[in-house]
Amino acid sequence: MDLGNFLSYIASGTLYTLGASLIALPAGLILGLLFALLYLYGGKVLSNLMAVYSTVMRGIPPIVLLFVLYFVVSGSVNLSPFLAGSISLGIISSAYQMEIIRGAIQCVSGGQLMAARAIGLSQTQAVREILLPQALRIALPSWSNEAAIVIKDSSLIYALGVPEILRRAQLISASTQQPFLAYSAAAIIYFALVFITTRLLGRLEQKLAIPANP
Amino acid sequence: MKKVLIFIISIILITTLLAACTQSGPASVLDKIKKDGKILVGTSADYPPYEFVDSAGQKTGFDIELMEEIGKKMGVTVEWVDMPFDSLIAAVKEGKIDISISCFNYDEDRAKEVGFSKAYFNSEDSFIANKDFTGKIEKPEDVAAYKLGVQSGTTQDTWIKENLIDKNLIKEENVQLYERVDQAALDLAAGRIDILMADYVPAKALLKANPGFQMLLHEAIASAGPLNIVLPLNDEKVKTEIDKAIDTLQTEGVIDQLAAKYFGE
Repeated sequence: MDLGNFLSYIASGTLYTLGASLIALPAGLILGLLFALLYLYGGKVLSNLMAVYSTVMRGIPPIVLLFVLYFVVSGSVNLSPFLAGSISLGIISSAYQMEIIRGAIQCVSGGQLMAARAIGLSQTQAVREILLPQALRIALPSWSNEAAIVIKDSSLIYALGVPEILRRAQLISASTQQPFLAYSAAAIIYFALVFITTRLLGRLEQKLAIPANP
Repeated sequence: MKKVLIFIISIILITTLLAACTQSGPASVLDKIKKDGKILVGTSADYPPYEFVDSAGQKTGFDIELMEEIGKKMGVTVEWVDMPFDSLIAAVKEGKIDISISCFNYDEDRAKEVGFSKAYFNSEDSFIANKDFTGKIEKPEDVAAYKLGVQSGTTQDTWIKENLIDKNLIKEENVQLYERVDQAALDLAAGRIDILMADYVPAKALLKANPGFQMLLHEAIASAGPLNIVLPLNDEKVKTEIDKAIDTLQTEGVIDQLAAKYFGE
């Protein structure tokens, strides 16, 4: 039994894990940003719609939602389990990211928006040029939290048959009857991915920080 | 800005609704298979020696090699899709995979959702326990006195439900379901369950890997033996083709060879 080979088999699932995260996070960001803006500035109907979306998506366990979305998203268009799973993860993440961005926008002092309108900027310009840059900086710490969660939640797509890290660890555990080794290997890889990501985002935070702030 | 956003959202909603309404699907999956030159076969590669991964990360096992031979007879390449066992039937139903081979027994409930090929091998069920287990198991129903473990979605799972739980021989909380049989084996070793019910050949593999286990009883209980390939429901064309391949491999002795290789008897 070749231990090195088994471990590299598990490690090669990293491609799928990273791929899924790199699809889900940006998709969640784009949708989350859109929905946050709709919630805050879209008028009564849209605002309520977004509130319902957020409550429902955050109220159901991700794996349950994943199965539901997988059979909806992949039922009409023929997508691979990997793509369907990643997009579903993005949709789930968008609800959480919507709340992060909404909270961050509401953190920016109301005076900023008022002043922007006072000097003649339209609502769209004020939001885009004045509000969002400040809000996104405020959102960054929470967002790096969400990034870590998405990387870890990518393991849920094992249930759809994607050969990512967790599924490979399960197969090796079944073949070799060495669960501790297989799952420890998976744990170390996930930890490394999340650690590197949060470190990089921490650097970004430092770069964007206002020097005068404590 | 608001009008643009509402417009975009309406387009997204309408396209999703339209897409969900369209019906698609070939008359027989065999046409699609022959056209693509490949067959999508689902399996759950966590079940040595029927299907598992070797040290090179390649799928191997009795079912795997048998299907590769069937593919050769059909003149198509086999593309393997691995997923947890209890997702396989749904995947065939939804057309995500063409067929599935994964140590399936014929079962009436399953036959309502999917079709079956003819039998390609015979299996038995078995009960295993730790060596220090002292209970007397003379017939299958005797296990109802203990804590049982079984893989969910299997015919053994159905047998326990219909013959033990429904007949009030055992309480539901004394039956533990697992996604994979190796998880059940871990719990058996830890003493969380007393007896594990599984297919005979994988159980023997577990015994080999766990010297602390013993075989209590083995016979054709749940499934009356035959293993079949899962096919789409009511798809006569693909069934004829696969059955033909199985027959040929049987007469050529290939199936017996594979059995000797993987089951050692």
